[in-house]
Amino acid sequence: MTKIQKALRAIVSDKQLLFGLIGIAVLLLIILFQDVLETHDPYDYGPDSLAAPGINGHLLGTNKLGQDVYSMLIAGVSTSLKVALISSLISALIGILLGGAAGFLGGKVDMVLSELINVFMMIPTFFLELMIIAMFGNSITNVMIVIGLTSWASNAKLMRAQALSLRERTFVKSAIVMGETRPQILFNYIIPNGIFPVIANTTMGMSGAILTEASLSFLGLGDVNVISWGQMIYDGKSYITSAWWIATFAGIAIVLTVITFYMLGDGLNHVLNPKHISGGKK
Amino acid sequence: MDDSQGKDGSRLMKKYIIRRILSGILTIFIVFTLTFILIKSAPGDPIRTLIGQDNDDPVLQAALEEKWGLNKSLPEQYFAYLSNAVQGDLGTSIIYERSVNEMISEKVGATVLLGLTSAILALIIGTTLGILAARHEGSAYDTITSVTTYTMNSVPSFWLGLMFIILFSTKLGWLPSYGMTTARKNYEGWAYVVDVMRHMALPILTLTMVTMPKYFRTAKSSVLQVMNEDFITTLRATGMSEKKIFSKYVFRNAILPTITIFGITMAYLITGVSLIEVVFSWPGMGRLVLTAINQRDYPTLQGIYLIMSVSIAVVMILVDIIYAVFDPRIRYD
Repeated sequence: MTKIQKALRAIVSDKQLLFGLIGIAVLLLIILFQDVLETHDPYDYGPDSLAAPGINGHLLGTNKLGQDVYSMLIAGVSTSLKVALISSLISALIGILLGGAAGFLGGKVDMVLSELINVFMMIPTFFLELMIIAMFGNSITNVMIVIGLTSWASNAKLMRAQALSLRERTFVKSAIVMGETRPQILFNYIIPNGIFPVIANTTMGMSGAILTEASLSFLGLGDVNVISWGQMIYDGKSYITSAWWIATFAGIAIVLTVITFYMLGDGLNHVLNPKHISGGKK
Repeated sequence: MDDSQGKDGSRLMKKYIIRRILSGILTIFIVFTLTFILIKSAPGDPIRTLIGQDNDDPVLQAALEEKWGLNKSLPEQYFAYLSNAVQGDLGTSIIYERSVNEMISEKVGATVLLGLTSAILALIIGTTLGILAARHEGSAYDTITSVTTYTMNSVPSFWLGLMFIILFSTKLGWLPSYGMTTARKNYEGWAYVVDVMRHMALPILTLTMVTMPKYFRTAKSSVLQVMNEDFITTLRATGMSEKKIFSKYVFRNAILPTITIFGITMAYLITGVSLIEVVFSWPGMGRLVLTAINQRDYPTLQGIYLIMSVSIAVVMILVDIIYAVFDPRIRYD
């Protein structure tokens, strides 16, 4: 059986992974055909203010400024995915480097880095993110960077555990004997072989990043120049009794996207996690 | 267990507890230093904000800088703030010119009321539902509760709160959607308690719904895990009833992991309650946070953040200690 066939079988046999991948495909298609799907320019202030769903061709109504809610939802997909992707990449990168170094190098380096990881696991991160954004400005770039900088601890913990077990393996030991340098071993053997649980965890973290961006927007710390679902809920809060559609649909979009990433992460965890793999073999 | 092993165990345990407390103190110290660096490197001059953009009076500026201790060197400011914080003084709000301690203590009661009530409700309901789902694995009940909790895990809490307002306040008119008491009605005694409880209902419902899934998942998976262990099979073979096996062996082992989840949930709630308070205009710390954000009142934000970090560290350490006491198998690392 080829590798591709194996991968396909793993995907089909794990329902969560399958649904997750379908969800991601749908989201990517929406971004690809954004211009076709949008019925109005989402940034355009139209004449209909607070129009109910269905009125004047506004499928899901309009907000106070007359922006089309449905088109805003479509535009929000790329914002959410961008936040999820970039912040998770930052978080994964820091986690892999620090965790890998801690586990592989051991000794004093490990002691210091492990304590740092523990501290960051205990720090209330949402409030830290909130403070930094309040101080340094609420651009979407800042939001992504801050989420990445504060959410790497679980990745580091996983990578450290992987590095700890990998450095006892024969192929790593023989590389040491062959005289390869420590950074070489870290980047050529430890990280490529231990990265899989981190990939699954990072995918899970993407749902966290989407929720965090939405929460910051809801507190008025979102980027007003970008259309995001969290921002829509924030705007809709004031009209929750009269124009329920503004906040409601944006929230549904968040829930569906977050579930997609959860399922993908859970599924990847089943397929990629070494514990599950060895446990699953018959 | 023989005596020497017990002594060894308690010595290890003491060492473990001391280690946990030390790492808690380190965490708080790092949080403290981090916020100080952040505030000092934040763009914008607080004095400028206070006296207004157009006022260029250097005398006034110097006077204000002296008053707020901003004319001292950074290390001096750092140690002054540190020594105050160690003595329990969190500083002064630069906007309201009031002690942050005072402002927090006025609001913290309302926040703790929401946070603690929903934490306990989520623990009881989530764990019960999870255990039931495990005992009837594969049934329709299991499927429904599992799918529901999976979905709830992905729901933004503040949005769920807004949806409850639409449903229970606007459409059905059953419950109030904002505040802690009905304005202009000075209820006393039981009438007051009932009034507060009616106002609490929706925020508590929201918070319980979003924290419950963690307990559900943990309880379900740990019951399933224990049920599959060899000693349970052996007990079954001895002819012991399922009921007795469950109440005597499975339940105790399965309930242990929820202690850890309680700590994690409390940490989430301490910051998460703020969002819900904003939704329901609850007069707690959330509102304080929101005004501090809008006014760029950094000393207040810093004070609130310190209090939150200390509470979370204390809860986490307590939880770890309780866990270690209940589960002697724990590896002290």
